[in-house]
Amino acid sequence: MSNFIGRYVLRPEIGSVVSLVAIVAFFVIVGGASVSQLLGAASWINFAANLGIVALPVGLLMIAGEMDISIGAMIPAGSMTVAIVSGYFGMPILVGMLCALGLGVLVGLLNGILAVRTSVPSLIITLGSLVAMQGVVLGGSVLITGGAGVTVEPAPWAKFLFGQLIGGSFQVIIFWWLALTAVFWFFVHRTPWGNWIFAMGGDKVSARNAGIPTDRLTITLFVLSAVCASFVGMCQAIAFNSAQVSGGMSYIFNAIVAVVVGGVLLTGGFGSVLGIFFGTITFAVVNQGIYFTDIDRNWSNLIIGAVLLLAVLMNNSFRKMALSYSPRKKART
Amino acid sequence: MTSATPLQPAAGIVKASPFATLGSLVRRPEAGSLIGAIAVFVFFIVFGGETFLSPAGFSSWLNVAAEIGIVALPIGLLMIAGELDISIGAIIPAASLTMAILSGFYGLPDIVGIVASLAVGLLVGFVNGVIVVRTGVPSLIVTIGTMFGVMGLTLGFSVLLTGSTSTAIIAGPVAQMLLGQFVAGMFAVLIFWWALFIAGFYYLLHVSPTGNWIFALGGDKVSARNAGIPTDRLTIALFMLSGFSAAFVGMCQAIVYQSAQVATGQSFIFNSIMCVVIGGVLLTGGFGSVVGIVLGTITFAIVNQGIYFTSFDANLGSVIIGTLLLLAVMMNDTFRRMALSTSSKKK
Repeated sequence: MSNFIGRYVLRPEIGSVVSLVAIVAFFVIVGGASVSQLLGAASWINFAANLGIVALPVGLLMIAGEMDISIGAMIPAGSMTVAIVSGYFGMPILVGMLCALGLGVLVGLLNGILAVRTSVPSLIITLGSLVAMQGVVLGGSVLITGGAGVTVEPAPWAKFLFGQLIGGSFQVIIFWWLALTAVFWFFVHRTPWGNWIFAMGGDKVSARNAGIPTDRLTITLFVLSAVCASFVGMCQAIAFNSAQVSGGMSYIFNAIVAVVVGGVLLTGGFGSVLGIFFGTITFAVVNQGIYFTDIDRNWSNLIIGAVLLLAVLMNNSFRKMALSYSPRKKART
Repeated sequence: MTSATPLQPAAGIVKASPFATLGSLVRRPEAGSLIGAIAVFVFFIVFGGETFLSPAGFSSWLNVAAEIGIVALPIGLLMIAGELDISIGAIIPAASLTMAILSGFYGLPDIVGIVASLAVGLLVGFVNGVIVVRTGVPSLIVTIGTMFGVMGLTLGFSVLLTGSTSTAIIAGPVAQMLLGQFVAGMFAVLIFWWALFIAGFYYLLHVSPTGNWIFALGGDKVSARNAGIPTDRLTIALFMLSGFSAAFVGMCQAIVYQSAQVATGQSFIFNSIMCVVIGGVLLTGGFGSVVGIVLGTITFAIVNQGIYFTSFDANLGSVIIGTLLLLAVMMNDTFRRMALSTSSKKK
C-alpha cells in the first residue's frame, strides 16, 4: 500500500488527474452531459492542443523558476509573420514559416539574455517584450499591409502538415501537441537536461556551482517558449488562411492556469510534463465542455477559478506529503 | 570583513532632507521614473506640438492617469510588500456592474450601489488576503484564481439578474457631481480623487509607521513577523485596499459612462503593473515610493495618450511603453545598486 502511495499518489500530476475526473463527473452528473459526447468532442481537444503546445514550455520555464508572458504577443506575431511574408508578399510558404519561427528565436533570445544578464524578474522582462511586440506586430502590419488582418494561401503540403482538419473537425495540430508532449517528456524525465531544469528551479546558485550551464539553459528555455508560441500562431494562420493581430492575450493566463493545475510549483523545482498535459486537458474541458451541459456557459470562468484554487491547495498538500514521505522511507531502510 | 554590510537600510525608507544633494536625489527610488517622465514629456512636446500642451492635451492623459493611478497605488504597495494582485482586472467590471444593477436596473438610491460596489471590492480583497496568508500559495496564482472566479460570478449574475451583459445607469445629480462630472468640460473629477488617494497613500507609506512595516514585509517576511509586525493582518489589509481602489474606479466608470459592461478592466492588470515598475518599485518587494508610482503612472499615461497628438502610428505607443519598461527596470537596477553601495560606504 505504501508503495502504491509512493509511486502513484504522490506524483506531481495526481492533482490534475483528480481534478480532471472530478470535472468530468461534475459535468456528467450535475450538467447532464453524455460521457461519449463530451470525451469525443473536437472543440475541447482542438482548444487543448493549441493551449498545450504553449503550456509545455511555459511549464518548463516555471519549473526552472522563470515566467514568460510574452507568449501572448508571440502567437499573433507568428501568425502575422506567415501571413505577411507568404500571403502579402507572395513568398513560398516555407520562407514565411521560417520567418515566423525565426522571430520566435529572436524574441526568446532577447528575453533569455535579459533574464540572465540582469537581476530583473522575468515576469517584468517578458511584460516589456509582450507590450513592445504587440506594438511591433500591430504597427508593422498596419504599416506594411494597411490593415489588421491578412490572408494567406498556403501550399498543399503545408496545409496538410499544419492546417488540415481531420474528419472535418479535428485540427492536425493535435498530433503536433501529442508529439511535442512526448519529446518534452523524454527530455525532461529521461535525459540530464530535465534534472538540470529541476535543479535550477530548486536552487539556481547551487545548480551553477554544480556545473550546470544555467545561463545557456535559461536562454534555451525562453527560446523554446517563444518558438512554440509562434508555432501555434503559424499553424492558426495556415489552418484558417488568415491572420489576426488580436487573440493571443487570453493564452497568458490560460497557460499559467493549465500549468499550475498540472501541479507545477510557481516558485520552481517541482512539476512534470504529464501534469502539464493533464492540466491543459482539465482547463480545456472546463472551458469548452461546459457547452455540452445544461449549465449556463457564463459560469465557466467561475469553475476555472475554483478548480485552480482547489488544485493548488490539493497540490500543496500532496507535495507536503511527497516531501515528508521520502525521508521516512530512508529512515526505515 | 570590510565589504560586509550589516543592517543595510532599505533605500526606500531613507527620508530625503530638504537640502538633498544631486547625488542623494539620484539614488532615491523615483529618480529613474522622474527622468523617464521628463523625457517622454519633452519628446511629446517636440513631436506633438502645441495641442499636446493645451488644456485638452493635458486632460487627455490626466484622465487616463487618474483611472490607472488609483489602481496602481495599492498595487505598488502590495508589490513593495512582495505580493501581486491580478484580480483587479475582474473587480473593476464587478464593481461597475454592481453599481449599475443596484442603482440602475433596480432603481435603488445611488448610495446603496456605491456602498455595495465598494463592499464587493473589499470582500474580494479580503478573500485574496486570507487565502494568501493561510495557504502560502504565491499571490500571483491566488489572484489569477479569484480573477477567473469573480469574472464568472459577474457574468453569471449579470445575465441571471438582468438578462444581458451590460446595464445602463443614470446616476443622481449628487453622485454625478462628486464622481462623474468633467470639470471645465474636460478634466474628469476622478483626477481630484486620484490626488486624494496619492495624499492618503503617501501618508500611509512614508509618514505613518505602517509604511515601515510594509517595507519590512517586502524585505524579509519572517524577520518582519519576528520583529512583532502583524504581517498577516497587514497583508490582508493591503489586498483589501487594492480591491477597494479597483472597485472605486469601476464604480466611477459606471457613473461616467452611464453604463457598465462585463468585459472591461483586463487592460488594467498589466497597465498598473507597468506603471508601478516604471515608477521604480521592485517586483520582489522592499523597495519603492509613492512619488515614484505617481511618476510612473504619469509617464505611462503620457505615452499612451500623447502618441495620438503626434503623426506617428498609434501602435508605436506600445513599442515605446515596452522599451521604456525595460529601460526603467535596467536603470532602476543600476540606481538601486548605487543606493545600496552608498549606504554601506556611509557606514
